[in-house]
Amino acid sequence: MADYAQPDVLVTTDWVAEHVNDTASVRLVEANEDVLLYETGHIPNAVKIDWVQDLQDDTVRDFIGPDAFANLCEEKGISDDTTVVFYGDRNNWWACYAFWVFKLYGHDNAVIMDGGRKKWVDEGREMTKEKPDFERGSYTAPDAPNVSIRSFRDEVLDHQKKQGQMVDVRSPEEFRGEITHLPDLPEESSMRGGHIPGARNVPWSTAVNEDGTFKSREELEAIYERGEGLDRSSETIAYCRIGERSSHTWFVLTYLLGFDNVSNYDGSWTEWGNLVGMPIERGDAQPVEA
Amino acid sequence: MNRLEEIAEPFQMADRDFRLELLLEYADKLPPLPDDYTELRDQGLNMVHECQSPVFLMAEVRDGTVHVIGDVPREAPTARAFVSILREAFHGESPDEVLDAPPDALRVLGLSQLLGMQRTQGLSAIYGRLRKQVEEKA
Repeated sequence: MADYAQPDVLVTTDWVAEHVNDTASVRLVEANEDVLLYETGHIPNAVKIDWVQDLQDDTVRDFIGPDAFANLCEEKGISDDTTVVFYGDRNNWWACYAFWVFKLYGHDNAVIMDGGRKKWVDEGREMTKEKPDFERGSYTAPDAPNVSIRSFRDEVLDHQKKQGQMVDVRSPEEFRGEITHLPDLPEESSMRGGHIPGARNVPWSTAVNEDGTFKSREELEAIYERGEGLDRSSETIAYCRIGERSSHTWFVLTYLLGFDNVSNYDGSWTEWGNLVGMPIERGDAQPVEA
Repeated sequence: MNRLEEIAEPFQMADRDFRLELLLEYADKLPPLPDDYTELRDQGLNMVHECQSPVFLMAEVRDGTVHVIGDVPREAPTARAFVSILREAFHGESPDEVLDAPPDALRVLGLSQLLGMQRTQGLSAIYGRLRKQVEEKA
């Protein structure tokens, strides 16, 4: 862990076990793909944040605003200086997404529990169904989101025209344009299959080990830098289908590999694939130039 | 009223937290997979591939009665609850009970709203699989 560019953004399951009762300064947040998983049992003193129910506002198809964010934090007993520890199912996929939203709103003390829920469970550690009830926090609503880590479609188009660096973290089948969406899923479908021209394809889960922990820095460098020719000093945009898988890769590139400037295009393929006038490419990515 | 609609009634009246509780009850009461089917499951047959979780689901029609056989890991409680609801609704019923059920089960159960548009995909596929198998075997 120590070799990562910013090792302080990860904590171990041991660390969490030692701090489960430090509820005045530490808040454990479980963020899952499965909306019901927290209710089946969670780490003692952990609260739940659901990415659809809590973080999104579907009346504007966007994230909740600054005031709603501050209110959410206060409800969960999170104050400005609380250390928020995110963990969740599916290799911390949603934990990284929640972490990204917290960074969008400038929360300083946010970390991820390496290995996520799976590692905690596999280690036979304590779980409970008891939902904690904390005193309301005191949270200063941010002025505006920090959009330097979020890309919008026009920025992505400019970036693409300048042949900027991009990582498409979907499956190879989606990247090549063989499938646009899963059956029975009209809501998430795109009119066209393929990828943004020039993007590299590194499926998001390539970054994690069997036990759910992140791969070592050495292994990650081999994948993203030597394998795909990504340059850590160049501006990089990550995207997927709706921007959640790419928040995981955003985390890896930013904090574990120390890329200077990475943003997440959360509009992703459901936006780009459907827009009039947006260029796409099909098939595999070009071989990396030596 | 269709069996599925009967089951849906308390869901429709429930708020978000109570809906989760109802789902949890269904997730808990899915019976273990009968031994005769574990081999099929372990061979990866009858898996719903559209679902991110390893969902095993089969519908059989014997002597005019539908049998719903399903297995979902406890780590995927939402899919588990949904399979359990379908079993509760259709196991031991006539094929017509399945074929006449509303085609948009997730909406009827109020789950589209709970799950958001991004994660209803696997569940729609589960329901589609069940209806298709009953239709073929009836």
